[in-house]
Amino acid sequence: MVPTSSRRPGASISPLRWLTRSSGSWLPPLLGTGGFLLLWQILSSAGVIALPAPSSLFTEERTRTLIFYPFYDRGGLDKGLFWQTMASLSRVAQGYTLAALVGIAVGITIGLKPTINRAFDPLFQFLRMVAPLAWVPIALVLFQNNQPAAIFVIFITAIWPILINTAEGVRQIPQDYRNVALVLQMSSRRFFTKVLIPSALPYIFTGLRISIGLAWLAIIAAEIVMPGTLGIGFFIWDAYQQNYVGEIVLGVIWIGAIGLVLDRLMAWLQTRISPGQ
Amino acid sequence: MTTTTAPSLVDVRTIDKSFALKGGGTYLALQGIDLEIHKGEFISLIGHSGCGKSTLLNMIAGLDLPTEGTVLLDGEAVKRPGPDKMVVFQNYSLLPWLTVRENIALAVDEVMGKISSTERDALVQEHIDMVGLGPAASKLPLQLSGGMRQRVAIARALSIRPKLLLLDEPFGALDALTRGNLQEKLMQICNEHELTAVMVTHDVDEAVLLSDRIVMLTNGPGSNIGGILEVDIPRPRQRLEVVHHPSYYSLRSEIIYFLNRQKRVKQWRARPHQVVARHGLEKVNLDLGFLPLAASAPLAVAEAHGLFTKHGLDEVSLIREPTWRGIVDGLVDGTLDASVMPAGMPTWMTAGGHGGAPLPIVTALTLSRNGNGITLGRRLAEQGVRTVEDYRAYLKSHEREPHTMGIVHEASMHNLLLRYWLAANGIDPDKDVHLQALPPAQMLADLKDGSIDGYCVGAPWLDRAIRDGHGIAVAGDLAIWPGHPGKVLGVREDWAIAYPNTHIALTKAMLEACRYCADPAHWGELSELLSDRRYLGIKPELIRFSEASTDVDRGGPESESAVPHHLFFGEGLNRPSRTEHLWMMTQMARWGEIPLPRNWVEILERVCQVGVFSTAARELGLDAISYQRQGIELFDGLPFNADDPIGYLNAQTIKRDFSIAEIPLAPPRRS
Repeated sequence: MVPTSSRRPGASISPLRWLTRSSGSWLPPLLGTGGFLLLWQILSSAGVIALPAPSSLFTEERTRTLIFYPFYDRGGLDKGLFWQTMASLSRVAQGYTLAALVGIAVGITIGLKPTINRAFDPLFQFLRMVAPLAWVPIALVLFQNNQPAAIFVIFITAIWPILINTAEGVRQIPQDYRNVALVLQMSSRRFFTKVLIPSALPYIFTGLRISIGLAWLAIIAAEIVMPGTLGIGFFIWDAYQQNYVGEIVLGVIWIGAIGLVLDRLMAWLQTRISPGQ
Repeated sequence: MTTTTAPSLVDVRTIDKSFALKGGGTYLALQGIDLEIHKGEFISLIGHSGCGKSTLLNMIAGLDLPTEGTVLLDGEAVKRPGPDKMVVFQNYSLLPWLTVRENIALAVDEVMGKISSTERDALVQEHIDMVGLGPAASKLPLQLSGGMRQRVAIARALSIRPKLLLLDEPFGALDALTRGNLQEKLMQICNEHELTAVMVTHDVDEAVLLSDRIVMLTNGPGSNIGGILEVDIPRPRQRLEVVHHPSYYSLRSEIIYFLNRQKRVKQWRARPHQVVARHGLEKVNLDLGFLPLAASAPLAVAEAHGLFTKHGLDEVSLIREPTWRGIVDGLVDGTLDASVMPAGMPTWMTAGGHGGAPLPIVTALTLSRNGNGITLGRRLAEQGVRTVEDYRAYLKSHEREPHTMGIVHEASMHNLLLRYWLAANGIDPDKDVHLQALPPAQMLADLKDGSIDGYCVGAPWLDRAIRDGHGIAVAGDLAIWPGHPGKVLGVREDWAIAYPNTHIALTKAMLEACRYCADPAHWGELSELLSDRRYLGIKPELIRFSEASTDVDRGGPESESAVPHHLFFGEGLNRPSRTEHLWMMTQMARWGEIPLPRNWVEILERVCQVGVFSTAARELGLDAISYQRQGIELFDGLPFNADDPIGYLNAQTIKRDFSIAEIPLAPPRRS
């Protein structure tokens, strides 16, 4: 039995009608992206720019293989995009986790103790301004090894937004909540778990979300200058060295897509963990 | 419900609180606060924003520590906050990531750690039910309305069974309807659990409704307790019923008066106050007080026609007060330089009638005479009350009902004339009726709604009721004492000594204004002038001046269109008269307002500044008006002998047990 539409509008709508109705939300981004790709296609076909046209990613054999066979593994550094990505992501995961742990801990400390904050704030503000790429030589000197150096670069890039936002979140705990804790004579441990963390959580997540983007930016930069590492960054560098322009374009698109997914993942996590705030 | 015998639960002992300022130095917020709170009492702290009432509450809560002095709770000094003195904050302070139940449970867990989980759940549920939030127990605070959130905060506070409940403007952010409901709920909970509570509020009605005592704080810096009012309305109270309790409006108006007074002082402090001397005068920047009355006409004329400036007083501001009490306080605290005042006020204040130490007030000028009358409400007229004999009979036949008549101030001629008139007609003004001081502008409203039988007041409030048909005139001033003094110009004695030339200049300006007011050709203009918002703010046709006429003379039913007959200027009218002031002192002593001063000769000598008047009149070329009037005789024909006031008092049949006492006055000196 078909439910009558008068009773529950929306429940009986056909997919086509739904698409027409919500066209306001999907049409503009589709037109924008499509238009951009079309313009690119025209410009490279006409020879105005040297970049290969988007369609060539499918027509050219090398890139087609990369797109359709992400899991291939011919040993060495010659692996499918999936494996390249996983290698980069695992580095990000390690550096980022470290950054989150240290950043939140230090952030809470300086948020609670204005003196410590005053002591270290200039240093933090200074270090925050150093670009990820500038850390690479220092990291290499420090660790003498590609893998830990790459993780360090991610760590040092990603920690600042987490640290600063956490500290701000702790400072922004409303005086009312502190008063409640004072009047109820809460122990520090209970204050930490019942008031501080829940209250600062939205700030911490803002920091984490900014940092994941930065970490992903940093890993590409780190891998490009660390030859011989498996990862999407070196993949692009390698393609450039060998003048596979199509592969470069594909790599860039791939990086953007992964970054977008990571950001959305954090956003989703944020809504799940601290709802209603 | 005040239990004065109970031991005090909270004892605030002479605490001061100062804060360090950003630019260095300190701000003294509270100074010398002493307050005892008994078990089971509900106390409100009321005052203007920034007066430190929340700071005081925080110090009782232990969230803040006093700079000097201590707060004792159950005999122990409060050093830090704790659950025994739980606070309900204005913005609820619920943890938004916890549900209603979890918020309350958090407090219970913290404070009552030892109880079992079943007991805990029962306790939480009990308090959720107490504030009627059963259906919302699993909701987050953000899903609740402001009123519901505050109920959760109250439930959380009560669930830990505090000795003392502290509420910081708990209903300030709520709409009127919700606020009313929550007030009733809180009152009910407090009654049932015999809670002791201290609440900060700025809502006058809330304070009266909920409190046993209302603590009024003065404005900072250095706020202290300006007064404590006991609310004698019996409990349990109902929001809609308390307004009918006789104390309700007097408490309410007392608080509002206090708050207005604080505001005025604050405005006064905000302006620069150094004495400006100029043109050979010691002070040319004056604040002159007045009330919205037709008798204030000379003041308005002096301002509008530049008479102040003409006599060198360049910077005169007129300060309109709603009640004479504001004038008294303005003179006491020195925020007023001089004021129009009822004729009896200088001697009354000099004799300490205002309740403080005797404050010598001097007068060099009588500004107006007549312009008063006794009005009875239409309700009485409809029952055939047209004369004082009818009224006496009416009072006899309606003995059980309260009979209130309005006066403007105990030291005003209205009070003295009304009392004299009632007593001479066999009505005891204290036993048979009740006389209540009301702001002149409020009397008409009270007469309309029947809460007073009648009143004695000056124009335009006198004739307006008659013209609007809300009352009838039973006696005009000419029928009681033709040419009686009405308003005088009064200043503090120490002020007059400090600024003698200014005093003369002011007297000259006002005397000239009086002469202007007395000319019938100017009366139309006076009505227009006084109708301005700065003075009376009523339609000009309602402010009328007239010649003496027979209707007003007689009073009674024929005079329904009575127009008051003001005398502003003339032979013997303006010179301060010792005999008249003595008569007024005698009358005030007769009714127990002041003791009859044994040193009345000294008081009269100091109060009546005849010399200043004479100088002013001479300099204006008005020597002729200095003629001294002689003899006082009112409508009942009893002559007043200025040499024997006690004999005069004894000759009166209706009077209180008056006392005779020496008024201790410091020798005249400048402030």
